[in-house]
Amino acid sequence: MLELNKFWWMIKKELISLKRHPSRLFAILVFPIIMILLFGYGMGGEMTDLPVVVVSQSHGDLTDLTLDTIKTTETYHVVEVIDDLDEGKQRVDSGEVKAAIILPSDYDKESSSQKSVTLYLDSSDQMAAQILESSTQGIFYRLSNMVAAQTSVSTQDADIEPSIGHSLNNFKDDISLHINRIYGNIKYIDFLVPAVLGMTVMMSCMMGMGATIAGERETGELARLFMTPTSVSTVIGGKIASKLLIELVRALILIVMAILLFNVSIKGGILQTFIVLVVGALCFVGFGIMLSARTQTQEDYAQIVLPFSMPMMFVSGVFYPIETMPWIFQKLAYIFPLTYLNDAMRAIMLKGQNLGDVWLDLVILLGFTALFFIIGVKRFNRDV
Amino acid sequence: MKNAIETYDLTKVYNNNFTAVNSLNLEIPNKSIFGMLGPNGAGKTTTIKMLTCLIQPTSGSATVGGYDVRKNPDEVRNLLGMVPQQVSLYKDLTIIENSQMCADYYGVPRDERDDRIEDLMELVDIKYAKDKLISQLSGGQKQKASLVASLVHRPDILFLDEPTIGLDPTTKRTLWDLITELNDNGHTIILCSHDMHEVDMLCDNVGIINTGNLVAYDTPQGLKDSLLESNKSQLSDTLAEISSQDKVSKSTKTDLENINLRKMSVLLKNQNDEIIDVIKKSSHVKSIEIAHNGRLNLRIDAFDELAVQDVLKDIISSGGIVKSIYTEEPSLEDVFIKATSEVDENARA
Repeated sequence: MLELNKFWWMIKKELISLKRHPSRLFAILVFPIIMILLFGYGMGGEMTDLPVVVVSQSHGDLTDLTLDTIKTTETYHVVEVIDDLDEGKQRVDSGEVKAAIILPSDYDKESSSQKSVTLYLDSSDQMAAQILESSTQGIFYRLSNMVAAQTSVSTQDADIEPSIGHSLNNFKDDISLHINRIYGNIKYIDFLVPAVLGMTVMMSCMMGMGATIAGERETGELARLFMTPTSVSTVIGGKIASKLLIELVRALILIVMAILLFNVSIKGGILQTFIVLVVGALCFVGFGIMLSARTQTQEDYAQIVLPFSMPMMFVSGVFYPIETMPWIFQKLAYIFPLTYLNDAMRAIMLKGQNLGDVWLDLVILLGFTALFFIIGVKRFNRDV
Repeated sequence: MKNAIETYDLTKVYNNNFTAVNSLNLEIPNKSIFGMLGPNGAGKTTTIKMLTCLIQPTSGSATVGGYDVRKNPDEVRNLLGMVPQQVSLYKDLTIIENSQMCADYYGVPRDERDDRIEDLMELVDIKYAKDKLISQLSGGQKQKASLVASLVHRPDILFLDEPTIGLDPTTKRTLWDLITELNDNGHTIILCSHDMHEVDMLCDNVGIINTGNLVAYDTPQGLKDSLLESNKSQLSDTLAEISSQDKVSKSTKTDLENINLRKMSVLLKNQNDEIIDVIKKSSHVKSIEIAHNGRLNLRIDAFDELAVQDVLKDIISSGGIVKSIYTEEPSLEDVFIKATSEVDENARA
């Protein structure tokens, strides 16, 4: 009986402790719900509505049939049908859409030469690229079969218009799908590594920085610092600098390991990748400072940081493209700094872009950094 | 400068409307050892936090070394050293490294820094462990290391928060000697402790804080004397009543004037088991000991003046004749318990 009583006290103590720490209770209750939502809707769903443009330089029944088929396929979200080839490519290059399906000018013409449909594909987004590639191949395969069947009927059916049957028949024999992967043939690991680097820096900075502040607050080390004639910003600045130094070394190790272990190619160069990671690290150190500004213990901090870090990890496009997520998560992604870090990392590492090309990502990251520091310093007080 | 620390109506109200310190007026003489006493949650820590500029007072003011804690926090911080109850040095650094860091935070000139640390390590006798990590030190060594780091900038005023808690008697005495020596060297020392013997022995002045108020302030002897006077006053009615009865000898009247509320020694003319049983049954008597000379040494578990009166009435009503009563001098612990027992429970909640 006595042992049972002791056992019950263990449970009771935890429950009382939870009741007296609403932030922990909130995290415990809400976190699983967030995870289920993210996994269920994010990773469990099919990849649909990938943004594409169709460059249609031809007119006719076959073109109309092809456009209808593409538009009614769930994989695609046809942003626009245009006729300017350069504009179509530019939209893919800029990242506005994932691919351009280019129907050539002779697509609807009766011709002896082979018609070449081009899929101009952003291969840096490896998962989306794979889906688009197989889906487009499937569409034209099905179109061919459909046309073949139609043609077979048309030869026996006098009611069908001869021009359509002829055109579709030619398509079956003459069409070819040429895939232009603008960033080469990128493996999934190539797609994953830039974001994993960003994610690792995020986790390390947020967890490490917060644990340092909350930990030192808990042990009284922070109090000793604040009893000296030293400003809050100096103490925070010192903490940031020391953490950043460690993160720089860690970032370098990560990059080298990625190259050695996964043979990842860094098209934009190691230095630019490193600089982007440093900007990201600075931002997440600031995030950690902001969250830990008034946290009393390491345990409290761990509970507070999880509801921020885990959703950010899944919503910011580390494992799958943002465009494939439900609209609410897509909107949510743009309030998380990791989204911009991932975007910049992939642009530098996979697309070979330079810092100038990702200036917007960097400016947003630095903006987040400034915001976090200001809030962190304002929230921070010497009452430790 | 007469006083190292002065507070005027110093008040701290936290966001949840809890008044931790309530109009505290305190003067701590320069170069003295001041004992700050109070039960847990009395407002000592909040007072120290305000005096060390960790938090701002809600109202009132305080000066440390003549500097206002609101207007000149950096000047105040330069004057202060703090040895907290929980050793707050970096555990992965050595004593020297921690002390060097503290020295640099206080702006101690580089060419003096290492010499000062060496001298301090010699003073507290910890030089033999100078290259050990803090995590490798014993409790007493950690406190000594903390003292070195806290004194490296030569603070005028040193706060010691439970400096000897958990230490063995020998180390405790070493630290007491050290505190006295530091005071002799001109440091004003504010000692927060629950060890009444330590405070009684070391401190020039003692202040007892309760529910955010200063409820007692004097020298240790002054506090004990005032309790004695208070007891006498409280017992005046009892004396009058008991002295009028035949069963109390006239000579006990003088003895009663020295009575302490908690401890007394009674000699009866006609002591027997029946009377002892009656005394044992009294709700006020915590313990009873029959000494070899026949005296009954009683420990009274109450501060109510009626407690002693009740016990004496019980003795008399059971046929006992009081021959004499002796009492011990109140201790500082008695003073503390008396001062803090008059707590308004509502205020503490």
